[in-house]
Amino acid sequence: MKLPKFLYFRPKTIEEALATFTAYDGNAVYLAGGTDLIPRMKLGLKKPMAVIDLKGIEELKKVRVENGTIMIGSLVTLFELSKTPMIKEKFPALFEALLFTSCETLQMRGTIGGNILQDTRCLFYNQSEFWRKAKGPCVKTGGERCHVIGAKECLSNYMSDTAPALLSLEASLKLIGIEGEREIPLRDIFTGNGVSPFSLRPGEILCQISLPNEVTKGGYEKLRLRGSIDYPLLGIALSGSGEKVKIAIGGIGPIPKVWEGKLEEIPSGMQKLSQETKAIANTILDPLYRKEMIPVLSQRLAKRVFGS
Amino acid sequence: MKQHEEYKIVGKSVPRRDSIGKVTGQAIYTNDIKLPRMLYAKVLRSPLPHAKILNIDVSRALRLPGVKAVITGFDTKGVKWGVFKYTQDHPLLPRDKVRYVGEDVAAVAAIDEEIAMEALELIKVDYEPLPAVFDPIEAMQEGAPLIHEEFPRNINIHVHIEVGEVEKAFKESYLVMENTFRAAGEAYAMMEPYAVVAHYHEGFLDIWCPNAGPHVRAKALSNLLGLPLNRVRVRHVNIGGAFGGRSEVQPADLIAALLSIKTERPVKLSLTREENAMCTRQVHDVIATIKTGVKKDGTILAKEFKVIYDGGAYSSTGPIATSVPYYVYEETYRIPNVRYDGYRVFTNKGIRGMYGCHGRAFLVGNEVQLDMIAEALGMDPVEIRLKNGLKVGEETITKSKIISSGLHEALQKVSEKANWREKRLSIIKGKGKGMGIGCIGMMCGFPMGFRSGSSCYLKFNDDGQVTLITGIVDNGQGNESLAIQIASEVLGIPMEDINLVNADTEITNLDQGAYSQAATFVSGNAVKRACEDARRQILAIASDKLGVPAEELDLRNRMVVWKKDPSKNIPISWVVREAFFMGRPIVGFGSYMPKIDFEREWVKRPYGQLAGTFSYGACVAEVEVDKETGRIYLPRFYAAHDCGYPINPMAVEGQIEGSIVQAGVAAILEKNLWHKGFLLNPDLLEYKVPLACDIPDMEPIIVKSYDPEGPFGAKEGGLTIRMSAYSAVGTALYQALGIPITELPFTPDVVWKALRKVNEEAEK
Amino acid sequence: MELIRVQFKVNGDQVDLSVKPYETLLETLRNRLELTGTKEGCGLGSCGACTVLLDGMPVRSCLVLTAEVNGREITTIEGLKQGDKLHPLQEAFVNHGAVQCGFCTPGMILTAKALLDRNPKPTRSDIIRAISSNICRCTGYKKIIEAIEAVAQREER
Repeated sequence: MKLPKFLYFRPKTIEEALATFTAYDGNAVYLAGGTDLIPRMKLGLKKPMAVIDLKGIEELKKVRVENGTIMIGSLVTLFELSKTPMIKEKFPALFEALLFTSCETLQMRGTIGGNILQDTRCLFYNQSEFWRKAKGPCVKTGGERCHVIGAKECLSNYMSDTAPALLSLEASLKLIGIEGEREIPLRDIFTGNGVSPFSLRPGEILCQISLPNEVTKGGYEKLRLRGSIDYPLLGIALSGSGEKVKIAIGGIGPIPKVWEGKLEEIPSGMQKLSQETKAIANTILDPLYRKEMIPVLSQRLAKRVFGS
Repeated sequence: MKQHEEYKIVGKSVPRRDSIGKVTGQAIYTNDIKLPRMLYAKVLRSPLPHAKILNIDVSRALRLPGVKAVITGFDTKGVKWGVFKYTQDHPLLPRDKVRYVGEDVAAVAAIDEEIAMEALELIKVDYEPLPAVFDPIEAMQEGAPLIHEEFPRNINIHVHIEVGEVEKAFKESYLVMENTFRAAGEAYAMMEPYAVVAHYHEGFLDIWCPNAGPHVRAKALSNLLGLPLNRVRVRHVNIGGAFGGRSEVQPADLIAALLSIKTERPVKLSLTREENAMCTRQVHDVIATIKTGVKKDGTILAKEFKVIYDGGAYSSTGPIATSVPYYVYEETYRIPNVRYDGYRVFTNKGIRGMYGCHGRAFLVGNEVQLDMIAEALGMDPVEIRLKNGLKVGEETITKSKIISSGLHEALQKVSEKANWREKRLSIIKGKGKGMGIGCIGMMCGFPMGFRSGSSCYLKFNDDGQVTLITGIVDNGQGNESLAIQIASEVLGIPMEDINLVNADTEITNLDQGAYSQAATFVSGNAVKRACEDARRQILAIASDKLGVPAEELDLRNRMVVWKKDPSKNIPISWVVREAFFMGRPIVGFGSYMPKIDFEREWVKRPYGQLAGTFSYGACVAEVEVDKETGRIYLPRFYAAHDCGYPINPMAVEGQIEGSIVQAGVAAILEKNLWHKGFLLNPDLLEYKVPLACDIPDMEPIIVKSYDPEGPFGAKEGGLTIRMSAYSAVGTALYQALGIPITELPFTPDVVWKALRKVNEEAEK
Repeated sequence: MELIRVQFKVNGDQVDLSVKPYETLLETLRNRLELTGTKEGCGLGSCGACTVLLDGMPVRSCLVLTAEVNGREITTIEGLKQGDKLHPLQEAFVNHGAVQCGFCTPGMILTAKALLDRNPKPTRSDIIRAISSNICRCTGYKKIIEAIEAVAQREER
């Protein structure tokens, strides 16, 4: 399969990267591990004029601890992060999510930043240009109707494993763009709109993910068909103490759902959440089944992490 | 043929000959071929599932610099191809209409792929969309869109087999059960995406492509192109898997050939994974309704079947696909009264072909139902199979004689290995754990007219090494190494002394191809006979020289030796040179034609000896079901395969293990998913080929039934497991859940929904 | 479009090429360097047939731009043999019957090599984890796992 034509740049600093982005009038994309971007370009879903490879920017690859915060550079690979002892000790939800992401080879290439900012997915969207042209446009590709539900709504699925874990840990992001720098809670990056799932400002580069430097209890449950490679058809992350836990659910719809409450509130909370969740036939498993697994898997997870 | 005796090398696990090239990256597959001045082709495909072609304008594409040729159906001879005379419906490049999304409509050859792809954008096709139909039941209704004029109600093939008096037998039955099972069609998902290199030069067309039958391919191309058969040379190449999906001529073959003929340059056409999935071959979706009547003691009295095969847009193997699941079943069990109606139906989807695991709805359905019957009668599932299983000397209901059978031994061995009695007794039905058995018979070769046989030649060079020339085809299962191993045994020279030239239609003689499990049984036999012929010649000359009768001589380690006193010997190379001197070089020839009833016809006359022999196999699967999530775990799998005699036990094990995964694990994972004529998972991410983490602990068991016809008693290398592993999962699941799951694959949502339905009904 | 100059090592040999910015490492290896041992199975990073080692780390070469590998070292299947001698993994795959159609084999062997290089005494679970990055349609994986285990057990480290 062939890539569309584009120019390649490898800046050494963030400033250089932003300058290149500006020079191409925004018709540019950032490249990290490429495990999400390259397939999408081959499918003709993204055809930028310029590809800006961030992997030459050393400062994005560091993990630092400062003043009660752990700061993870966006270009740290998933594999590296999973081998960082502090992650396993303090953030078991994240640790498990890292192990569950894709397969070992792709974990060595995929970055935490890229994993968070992966585009949403759908059986009708992640197809070749030939396929999509023949089928006709859908809402995510600029058309009027979703092929699955017929309405003008995009319920493509956000399928990062690490993001729900990070949400359960109250992670925040540091972004640097043309308009400057900002730090926001991870939660705020999601638009809930499958067409354009992230509220990124012009040229913004995700530089760093920050987590409070404290030991947490937690875990991650993933619903997938095979034991490796597959994206989550449901991904449930849980972090917290016995008193208060935070649960984040990914894999269904364009935005992860976050819930907070006490342990004993989980069954009813998840039941309600499941009822409110919209799942459609845009994955390989039945949507009703996926919804129904929300309370099942979240309760299992809670039991595993906190005991009965 | 020696029974129960040690051979020199046959029957021993040896590394396969082709493995070195494959582990070093030196083995050449079609897409690795690069020829001087080679052009690259791309295909323009139909975006519509059903439409008339009104006009194709290629003029702009032709003008693009770098484009050397553009073709459409109007560049062909308009010949329609078909496996059978009565299924000649495939123009390969259509002129009148398109019948599935992805059908080849036009093609370009250019100096590089990028330009070829650009040129496709410049071809303008005017279509008149027609109503399309995607469901086989709908397609058979009056008034449904007609996909082929000559096949009313879109019924491509109707196989009707009726023996005995089914209705009477049902009336006399103690117990009658009827169930319907469905299965979504699978993808072959062979690792190598399809590719063709065609080179027309000096009046000859050379073709390289991954194919299971070069002679059949050459003949098809000869007809399609109007070229004499000797001018079409299908060449040898390494093949990255076929599993039944590469037996027939492809549009890609015709396209590459035409482009090469037009440009007089080599042309390479490489398909993407998506094209491989959508536009070559897929596997049938099947709906099987099975009715069985039994006596109180479990003896099967009658079976009635109605099976619908969703065939996609063209006939492909047509009657073969419509019959084989039934035949493997009748080869297994004694059925005194039967009525089988198999319908292969056209729909506007990709073309469905034969598959190594074909017919899982039918076979799982039969086996699960048999367990349900056994349970009602208080019988053990192994017991009921032993009771009804056919034995040596018996005939199938359509009159195929069974000359060797390891069915009973396979059932006994696999259940012993799996500790069936003990373990199964300890399992309480419906609690989520289950152990199930499935078994099946398998034909080795079937009628292909005069093309059903194979022959082999061999020559010696004067150092005593051999070149073996045979049409045997290797899709990756090890047939090339098998031929060499057989030759090594008979000629008494090490495998490394034997060169192999195979699957090249200019050099090798007619061979039936590597499908229908014929390679070992037919091609292997021809190799053995050719070697025996050469051996006789060698022994005759040596006998003269040594002054010892030929019967007292043997060939061992490159020497002719006197069995009574091996120190009395001469090198084979000496004999070879002597033969050259005498003007009668050692040249071996052998051929084998399986003893098949050639009057037998799939539709018109479905009785008579179907195959040279039958192999048998049985699997036991252990399953654990998480009833809350519907997820199935397969901790352990045992599979006993009666291969007659294992030429290379390690290779047979490899086939058994691969089959357990491709059929057994696939039963809980694999399906092609469709939406109105569009394949939703034409890739290797959303089509779930099992990974290493998904496999059970596997115990392959080789059963030897010493077939009287097979070379060294050998039959075939593992197909019985490909067609019984899913049955073992189905039957195990029945025990684990207490209800039959009648929809395949058994993905968690399917299981969960079935359990919920049971709970809801229980609550009412 | 301007080409990009890339200098890197392939199997120990220094190469100096001008490549298209949108050229993948897989394309460069197969088409420019004619190292056809690395295969394209799907083009989208789902199957692992295109696996090569990038500074010893397994990568899907169909997802790597050649422009990215300036100054790096690539190992393909052709680089495993030491003169006439097969790499222990190559030998083990042959001897254990871990090769059938062979299309997944180069990627599978390189994935296994990377595992043994970073973890000389892997458990069966480690092996399965590593090779669950690669699809094999023929073997059912059992003999592949056995071959890798045999090499791991043999090596004295």
